[in-house]
Amino acid sequence: MTAVVEIRNLALGYPELTLFKHLSLDIQAGTTLAVLGANGSGKSTFVKMLLGLMNPLAGRVTWPAGRPREVGYLAQLTEFDRRFPIRVRDLAAMGAWRGFGLWSGLGRAGRTRVAAALEEAGILDLADRSLHTLSGGQLQRALFARVILQDAPLILLDEPFAAVDQSTEAHLLSIINRWRAEGRAVVLVVHDLSSVLDHCSHALLLGGGMAAQGTVDEVLTPDRLVAQGYMSESQASWMFRGNAQQKGAAHA
Amino acid sequence: MLELFAEMWDFAFMRRAFVATTVLSASVAPIGAFLVLRRLSLAGEAMAHAITPGIVIGFVTAGLSVVSLLVGGLVAGVGVAILTALLARKTILRSDASLASLYLIALAAGIFILSAAGSAVPLKSFLFGSILGIDDASMMLVGGVATVTLIAFAVLLRPLIVSTCDPIFFESQTRRPWLVDQGFMLLLVLNLLAAFKTLGTLMAVGLMILPATAARYWASTITGQLVLGFVFALASCWIGLTLSYLFPETPSGPAIVLVAGGFFLISALLGPLGFGARLRKKSTKTTTSIEQTYTKERIQ
Repeated sequence: MTAVVEIRNLALGYPELTLFKHLSLDIQAGTTLAVLGANGSGKSTFVKMLLGLMNPLAGRVTWPAGRPREVGYLAQLTEFDRRFPIRVRDLAAMGAWRGFGLWSGLGRAGRTRVAAALEEAGILDLADRSLHTLSGGQLQRALFARVILQDAPLILLDEPFAAVDQSTEAHLLSIINRWRAEGRAVVLVVHDLSSVLDHCSHALLLGGGMAAQGTVDEVLTPDRLVAQGYMSESQASWMFRGNAQQKGAAHA
Repeated sequence: MLELFAEMWDFAFMRRAFVATTVLSASVAPIGAFLVLRRLSLAGEAMAHAITPGIVIGFVTAGLSVVSLLVGGLVAGVGVAILTALLARKTILRSDASLASLYLIALAAGIFILSAAGSAVPLKSFLFGSILGIDDASMMLVGGVATVTLIAFAVLLRPLIVSTCDPIFFESQTRRPWLVDQGFMLLLVLNLLAAFKTLGTLMAVGLMILPATAARYWASTITGQLVLGFVFALASCWIGLTLSYLFPETPSGPAIVLVAGGFFLISALLGPLGFGARLRKKSTKTTTSIEQTYTKERIQ
């Protein structure tokens, strides 16, 4: 596997507040990295750093194949102004706006690409609708279509399932799985411990001034989740009680 | 009545005013549309007040020439924009509070200097515009600003749309997102200066905001918003100028802005994105979904 990004001894935060330090991590092509942590642990800051919107306090971030021209990015849905007068197909086309240039129209090839992305996101029938007529799930699909059109080797998704229903989540997860199969690296900020983690190969747990990384099973252990302030001991023992019972049964 | 119109056309200053405001409408319509879409409607008004001391100092030191207007206004406008950004970035105040503080100081300073200097220009025409004040140089200013604005929009339109629709996404896409923001603010100041003679400092933003907000009730695409904003602005100018001619004591600025206000109220009542949808059919899809959107926003 090849690394898209190599992070060495990274410290992130603000002059008066260090969120975490000593993170060394390779984000590999063809993997999905889940980023978890309590509020304010630095999940979104980590994403902003990868986007180049924020400089690390310390450490080194290198791009072995060169910094890609395009990094796919989906911000949290709450930050989006859906009263903006634009159609779904134009929102999706923004993913490739730099490729279309300043002056020219989309052209036949461009229109076909936009239609294919909308089709994949399952909203081709909504292509001419205004944004304010969409539900939260439909808007998230439109924004996924935009990420599809960005065609980027590294894709950063900030809590993409926070405001969508189960069927939309399943559909969007299938798109993420396809990205991974195509050899793209996906970084997925997730808020809850949920079945979404079944679709992630690696995890990065932030909190308590620390950053732990590895495979999902290595990182998301009850002890670590408690130590890094993600949940209390009683929550952990309740959440992982099934695991303990299974282990007990296996032992017997 | 027809005689009155014929008589109006006999006056060179009226013909100038019609030409100037027609060109001005084409220039301010896109600025207004993006002020509204970027949620800068009030910032535009504040900026109009902020450039006052620059114009006044230019006027007191060099007379009411286009050059003094342009230099004084640009220095004051850009100065306030930079100071606002500095205060918002380095201190506890947000940008709206920073801009409000600075524009109040600037407006007070402008009026104080103008009154203290015992100017020959009546305060009323300074604040509210005068169709009598449009000379050749002012026409050149309006034409020049309109040319710069329309060329800049042709180049900036796509980045502007992306940065307005989704600023966070735009920031992730470009190394210098501030170029678009500051470029737009510069165009705003230029257009305020171009509109100053006809509309005055207090009314200049009216021709930007009201046609744009009126158009917002009808248009669901950017193109529709831009075209309709221009049509409303143009109609406001023509009707407003005629009103100002018919009632010789009225300054042109408020007359034009009042007509634009009329378009706004009618649009709010009848437009499909205003109360219009509700009036026509209570159960249309659009109405329901707008309500859903608003409810969701409130919850968030």
